[in-house]
Amino acid sequence: MIAIEGVGKRFAGRDGGAVQALEDVSIAIRPGEFVAIVGASGCGKSTLLRLIAGLAMPTSGAVRIEGTAVTGARTDTAMVFQAPTLLPWADVLRNVTFPMRLMHRAGPGTEDAARALLARAGLAGFETRLPRELSGGMQQRVAICRALLQQPRILLMDEPFGALDALTREEMSLELLRLWTETPMAVVFVTHSISEAVLLADRVVVMSPRPGRVVDVVEIDLPRPRDFAQEASPAFQAAAQRIRAHIFRRPAAKLAA
Amino acid sequence: MIRRALPSVIALAAFFALWEGACLAFGIREFLLPRPSVILASVIGAWPLMLSHTLATLTTVLLGFAASIIVSLPLAMAIASSTTIAAAIYPLLVVTQSIPKVALAPILIIALGANEAPRIIVTFLVAFFPLVVAAVAGLLAAPPELIELGRACRAGRMQELLRIRLPFAVPFVFGGLKVAAALSVVGAVVAEFVGADAGLGYLIQTSMAFFRTPLAFGAVVILALLGILLFQAVSLAERLLFPWSSGAERPALAA
Repeated sequence: MIAIEGVGKRFAGRDGGAVQALEDVSIAIRPGEFVAIVGASGCGKSTLLRLIAGLAMPTSGAVRIEGTAVTGARTDTAMVFQAPTLLPWADVLRNVTFPMRLMHRAGPGTEDAARALLARAGLAGFETRLPRELSGGMQQRVAICRALLQQPRILLMDEPFGALDALTREEMSLELLRLWTETPMAVVFVTHSISEAVLLADRVVVMSPRPGRVVDVVEIDLPRPRDFAQEASPAFQAAAQRIRAHIFRRPAAKLAA
Repeated sequence: MIRRALPSVIALAAFFALWEGACLAFGIREFLLPRPSVILASVIGAWPLMLSHTLATLTTVLLGFAASIIVSLPLAMAIASSTTIAAAIYPLLVVTQSIPKVALAPILIIALGANEAPRIIVTFLVAFFPLVVAAVAGLLAAPPELIELGRACRAGRMQELLRIRLPFAVPFVFGGLKVAAALSVVGAVVAEFVGADAGLGYLIQTSMAFFRTPLAFGAVVILALLGILLFQAVSLAERLLFPWSSGAERPALAA
């Protein structure tokens, strides 16, 4: 469905030199698949997400969605950022419908769909609240609802739980999985939490820093629905260990010993 | 509300009492430093005169304030929308700020005649700069992710400006408006000092020429009240029109 083919991205640096953010990245993502991208800071994870979203163009290679090269923003992708980035002047409901209104896709059913989505995310009764009246976790839920209302076939998430506390983070991870199973969409989830990546994803793409390259793709063979009890399972541990070894560039055996 | 205001009321009352007592105790002469009670009496005694001068100043203040709003906001949008325009306009703005307005006022009066226009221009020149700076900061304050969200939804530059950047700028603009409101009172008085036949600035000058110090002090007090009133009016407008704004960003001068 998403074909990332030999993608490279070079930025002009401040000192006149060029920074190679991504180099020869190739990933194929199937429809409905949950792919996590893990790597240290500066490995170009967010850049890759922006290339898929059509917010930036690769300097080499191409991103194709169903055979068509991505040349600009598309209506079938939606993005969730690390910060909720809600409109402070608009209530929860208007925040959720904002992209639809911006794209002139809002119809008579949009508001009801938004209410239903908010209810599914545990936000029923908060429709007329302003963002600053909500906790960080609730704000991020609103941001996720805002993305889901667009009924994207590809949901792009850039460290969406990175700013949340550990407990809220775990709760939100499971909620995201629940929403994903109810919705036919592929998810590309950027994180630097290894356990989060293993818990959520079908496949974890491990990237190296500067320039960002794919060093490994780990299939996560855990049964769904997933929960935190699986963190203790050998399959979970093995996958996490393999990813960790790549990121810290040490042989897995040494770490396991 | 009353509880919070109480300390400042007591402090103010103590200040005036000390002033009154010191004048009496040291026998300070009226044309040097009049007592608060004498100032009050002279203002009340000459109230039709005070009122007409106050209205004259208020007209200049409001017109100058309005002019600074009308000019500043589009100017800020132009500066925020393009770095080229910003590079072209900012030095000019800084030049207008480096020129002392008192020096400019007589030149403007010769060029434009002894009427309201030069006074409004001086008021505008004193008041508009902080408003431009605040509005530009506000227009650039929208989080980059939200701008990206707009782009991802294929919003054009106009939509981006109207639906994301402008609302984000509101708290900043009101911060600038509060400063501009206080400064337009300053600007109007500066203009009246140089060339006017009415207004509180004119009243202060003529009163001092005849050593009618209490009247001049009265005019100063009214000017202070005018400034406070205008500042509070802007705060009230913000609370009524943009209730979400008052807690969104707290500029140093937020009431």
